[in-house]
Amino acid sequence: MSKKTDTTRRAIVGATIGVGLGIGTLSLLAPVASLRPKKETSPETEPPKEGDVFTFAIGDNAGKEITFDDLPLEGPAVLAYPKDPKTGVIKSGEKNNLVLLLKLKPEELGEEVKKYAAAGTVCYSAICTHLGCTVGEWDAAKKDFLCPCHKGLFDPRKGAEVIAGPPPRPLPALPISAAGDKPVVAGGFTSPPGVLSGTDTHGGSCTV
Amino acid sequence: MYRWFDERLSLSRFNKKFLNKAFAVHHSYFIGEIALFAFITLVITGIFLTFNYEPSIRTVKVAGKAVSAAYASVLYIDSLPFGRVLRSVHHWSASIMIAAAFIHLLRVLVSGAYKRPREINWFIGLLLLVVAIVTSFTGYSLPFDAFSATATSIGYGIGTSIPYVGEWISQIIFGGEFPTLHSIPRVYALHVLWFPLILMAILGMHMLVMVKQKHTQPNYARKVAPGRILGVPLMPQQAYMSTVLFLLYLAVVFFIAGAYIAHPIEVYGPPTASTPAVKPDWYLIWVYGILQIIPGDLKIPLPFGAVMNSEFIGSILVPGILGLAAVLLPFLDTRSTKMRYMELPTKHPVRTGVTFALLAFLITTTLAGWKQELGLSAGQLWFIILGSSLLTYLVVYYAIIFFWGRPSKEDAGAV
Repeated sequence: MSKKTDTTRRAIVGATIGVGLGIGTLSLLAPVASLRPKKETSPETEPPKEGDVFTFAIGDNAGKEITFDDLPLEGPAVLAYPKDPKTGVIKSGEKNNLVLLLKLKPEELGEEVKKYAAAGTVCYSAICTHLGCTVGEWDAAKKDFLCPCHKGLFDPRKGAEVIAGPPPRPLPALPISAAGDKPVVAGGFTSPPGVLSGTDTHGGSCTV
Repeated sequence: MYRWFDERLSLSRFNKKFLNKAFAVHHSYFIGEIALFAFITLVITGIFLTFNYEPSIRTVKVAGKAVSAAYASVLYIDSLPFGRVLRSVHHWSASIMIAAAFIHLLRVLVSGAYKRPREINWFIGLLLLVVAIVTSFTGYSLPFDAFSATATSIGYGIGTSIPYVGEWISQIIFGGEFPTLHSIPRVYALHVLWFPLILMAILGMHMLVMVKQKHTQPNYARKVAPGRILGVPLMPQQAYMSTVLFLLYLAVVFFIAGAYIAHPIEVYGPPTASTPAVKPDWYLIWVYGILQIIPGDLKIPLPFGAVMNSEFIGSILVPGILGLAAVLLPFLDTRSTKMRYMELPTKHPVRTGVTFALLAFLITTTLAGWKQELGLSAGQLWFIILGSSLLTYLVVYYAIIFFWGRPSKEDAGAV
């Protein structure tokens, strides 16, 4: 066997293996893509929409509708899920639907915040923009929202801007209005709620 | 009987070669073994746990209360005779495995044992430590109490912070936006099947390479039998010592785990919409500390609109840089001759100083995990962290020079 045919044989074997591996790898893309679970949607996972009322998210009153009288003045904030009053569905199936309702003295609210507030009550996403914990604690001395995980502090009077700690952006606000004695949703979140990662996190509750 | 097998499998040839293998003896050589014992204990207690655990967060009723099936099954495990202790042993062994592996790494580091020809085992060992930490983190979520759900959702958030592919990686590992119905089955499969298999494979490689390349020798061997391998045979001396040590390990860990029950899930309760104030296990508190004191607006822009945000920098980039430095170490710190004997830390003041500075960094960043309790600002903590790391380096370096003198050229090698 001459040297030439030997190299040709090698080239053919090499090319066969290369093409086989290449096509094999490409064909794996579809199964890899389906490793990511489908996002299942239901009425419980829909985002809050205009007219939704609020219900207590935790505690003995969980599921009960919230009136302005249920909210203590100057905190602590109340964790709530929106509820569609027509269907009666509480939208607790989506983590990012969890919000904080807080009643403050109306004169303390910043100009921007007043646009979203009703009767001195403000509503913000309860999901920390840092790593997705619930901003469920209330710093009674500073009257600020406190995230228990990495101690991010947010000022509810100034559009939940970050006062201290690592969160990259303010908590998105959820505009509300008054319908009788109840706060109701008056529009969508001012910026996407929850953790926005790997992409530029421009914007905040005051920029929209 | 033995002869029957020997005729067919040539056991005596294998025995002569392998069972007589000389094992170098030094007290610091047992630390790696402890990591191995902890792993064996994890597998055995893990088998018990998998037999009783139910990987699902569908709601079931326990004594009239609706809780997840996972949580209920952990309550069931705790109610079995010795169940609570075995679960605690599993948790404690995970801690001990990581601690032992890390101390083993420090021993290899200060004695220069990563140098030629043992670079490969240094890389495998680093990989083992990382996979061990990841494996134990995937175990966090399984009891599905308030603590474990919170800690895992932070892990989910950290995963999504990886530029470009974070969302995909996190959703594949955690089965969608944690927690979904897919989350626990998926993390369970990773925790009890895939990661243990990977660990076993790289653990086996670690030991095969060690057997093939021979262990570094303690310095007394240089005096006793210069240039030759000194040690005790695998059978029976080394095996005897290891068995005694394993039994001792079991006795100690069962005592600790029985006296201090790890992770009592009733204390945390099932997860709710609110988040409890939790700290991760001790070996991740340094990352948790960095995450608390890193400025939130810190970001490094990347092409195509992606950024490295502060979560990524604090929890992946900083540990990643430490890991990269460890990988590069055998290429930067070399020696001209083949490594045979352990080097003395006192003859390598720079390396020993850097090792202590690394420890100071890890301890002070861990301290930053108590930022709120300490009442210190991020700036003050950064000052403490960087200041004490630098100070530790200088103190150790000059203390070695002062007490043991400047190393001679042939001792020092590169550093």
